[in-house]
Amino acid sequence: MNTRRPVAATLAVAGYVIMIVPILFVVATSFTGGSTLRFPPEGLSLRWFDAAVHHTPFITAMVSSLQLAALATVLALLLGIPATLAIHRGRLPGKGLVEGLFLSPLIVPELVVGLALFQQLMIGLRLDNFTVLLIGHTVLMLPYAVRVTGASLALADPFVEEAARGLGASPLRTFFTVTLPLLRPGIFSAALLSFVTSFNNVPLSLLLQSRDFRTLPVTMLDYVQQSYDPMVAATSTIILAGTVLVAVVAERTVGFARIFGGINR
Amino acid sequence: MTVAAQFQQVTQRFGDFTAVDAIDLTIPAGKLTTLLGPSGCGKTTSLRMLAGYSTPTSGRILIDGVDSTRTPPERRGLGMVFQSYALFPHLTVAENVGYGLKLRKMPAAERTRVVAETLDLVGLGHLAGSRPKKLSGGQQQRVALARAIAIRPKLLLLDEPLSNLDARLRVHMRAELRRIQAETGLTVVLVTHDQDEALELSDQMVVMREGRILQQGAPIDVFPAPANRLVAEFLGYENFVTSADGTLRTVRPEHLQVLGQERRADGLTLEGVVVDVAFRGVDRLVTVDADDSLGRTVRLTADVRDGAVTARPGDRVVLGADQAHVVTLAG
Repeated sequence: MNTRRPVAATLAVAGYVIMIVPILFVVATSFTGGSTLRFPPEGLSLRWFDAAVHHTPFITAMVSSLQLAALATVLALLLGIPATLAIHRGRLPGKGLVEGLFLSPLIVPELVVGLALFQQLMIGLRLDNFTVLLIGHTVLMLPYAVRVTGASLALADPFVEEAARGLGASPLRTFFTVTLPLLRPGIFSAALLSFVTSFNNVPLSLLLQSRDFRTLPVTMLDYVQQSYDPMVAATSTIILAGTVLVAVVAERTVGFARIFGGINR
Repeated sequence: MTVAAQFQQVTQRFGDFTAVDAIDLTIPAGKLTTLLGPSGCGKTTSLRMLAGYSTPTSGRILIDGVDSTRTPPERRGLGMVFQSYALFPHLTVAENVGYGLKLRKMPAAERTRVVAETLDLVGLGHLAGSRPKKLSGGQQQRVALARAIAIRPKLLLLDEPLSNLDARLRVHMRAELRRIQAETGLTVVLVTHDQDEALELSDQMVVMREGRILQQGAPIDVFPAPANRLVAEFLGYENFVTSADGTLRTVRPEHLQVLGQERRADGLTLEGVVVDVAFRGVDRLVTVDADDSLGRTVRLTADVRDGAVTARPGDRVVLGADQAHVVTLAG
């Protein structure tokens, strides 16, 4: 910590406290032996974890969430990577406009997007809610796919691809041996961000839910409204553990700074 | 003279801007040609057209006698060194150098040998396993050079290869480039804005400005006889004097002297008032307001040990240059 800047240091500590302490409360209460969501926990037990992993609606919703997040991430990258290349390397007229379009889901309120998709696709075209959710989540992920992969491309020397061509590589070969390897950290971080954002999304998933398909956060929200027991805290702890695991793996393999931002290379 | 490449009436326009204006240029094989000029003169555009990264608006480019105007870069077999070096950051030094060889399906054992030889040629054999970002600027530049040389290119193209190096290293690398060119016998085209670099390195120098070639030839022929004022200015001539009959003459600052009472110069004489004397280590730079009809400022350098130069601002002086040092310009 930088002791020569006490104000900044204090603010940083306050930031960590505000972000982390409430989460610690949830984790602590999930290990309670009692039957209410209360701090301090009454006794220590794993009974709520046992309940959580045997609670069918949660299991079903967890699988749904993972499926949706994985598919939306893949789709967003498949659309986003070519868009990034076109924006950064192509001779696209109105590049700024195109980039703005791909980034706009960050600004448009999700409820508006959700409502529009609900009206037009679910009611209008009678698409099933999984398809509509997949479309909605993909659209929400696009800014990450375009921005984060774009950041690693923008920082790369624009002449490396020309260098590869000059050495004898066809455009396709250049893409696979130079462009894609340069994009790899960006793609990895975009995938991670997209996946987490989709997995945690509430507004879209709430609007576009159905009895057959609903995501974990929506199911948990539903559950909390009816019963106030520590099973939700246990579920949250499980999700938190999974996220931390992903973060640790990411840090070990490519490094956090590189993943988030995809730029500090 | 064997011809390695030729520009025939090559023009490149970007919208309304004419970057290169109908140039004709012959690149002799086995020689080092420099394209010299200020930024925006069309030298880099010409190099990029030669490499195949941009297609001329009109005209033809021949490589080894074959019309290659529209041949994509990967089928030209040329080696290019970019100003930014453009090394592949995800590959090691050896993999960078071997990239072009791998594409040519050279067997692994032979490839390893050629990569090692080429790295030795540029003096980087010990860094084969390093990543480019761990290297200094000068080392990266050598890797870029080795990568381009390894494929035994028909032409080696260098875009301002030394401009990102510090002054001392730049001068050292000039000698290195000459050695490498001599050892490999490659045809080299080098783009630069540095006239000293061009003079020192070139077999043939091509002075460009505003998309046109102003003058070309061996440095030893071009330097003492610039074709016109623009070339002269670019080669460091100053002190342009128009005579009564309209001829334009020029003298470099180091060839203009402050004359004592007893001497007259046989080439050119001027009178004027000293406005500034600046000490520069090896010499003094004297700025004089000449009272010829054009009222121009002339500058001369005088050796610091030259006791005769005692001029101070405000003094009236007579300046002169010997005929051998006065260059008469066509326009």
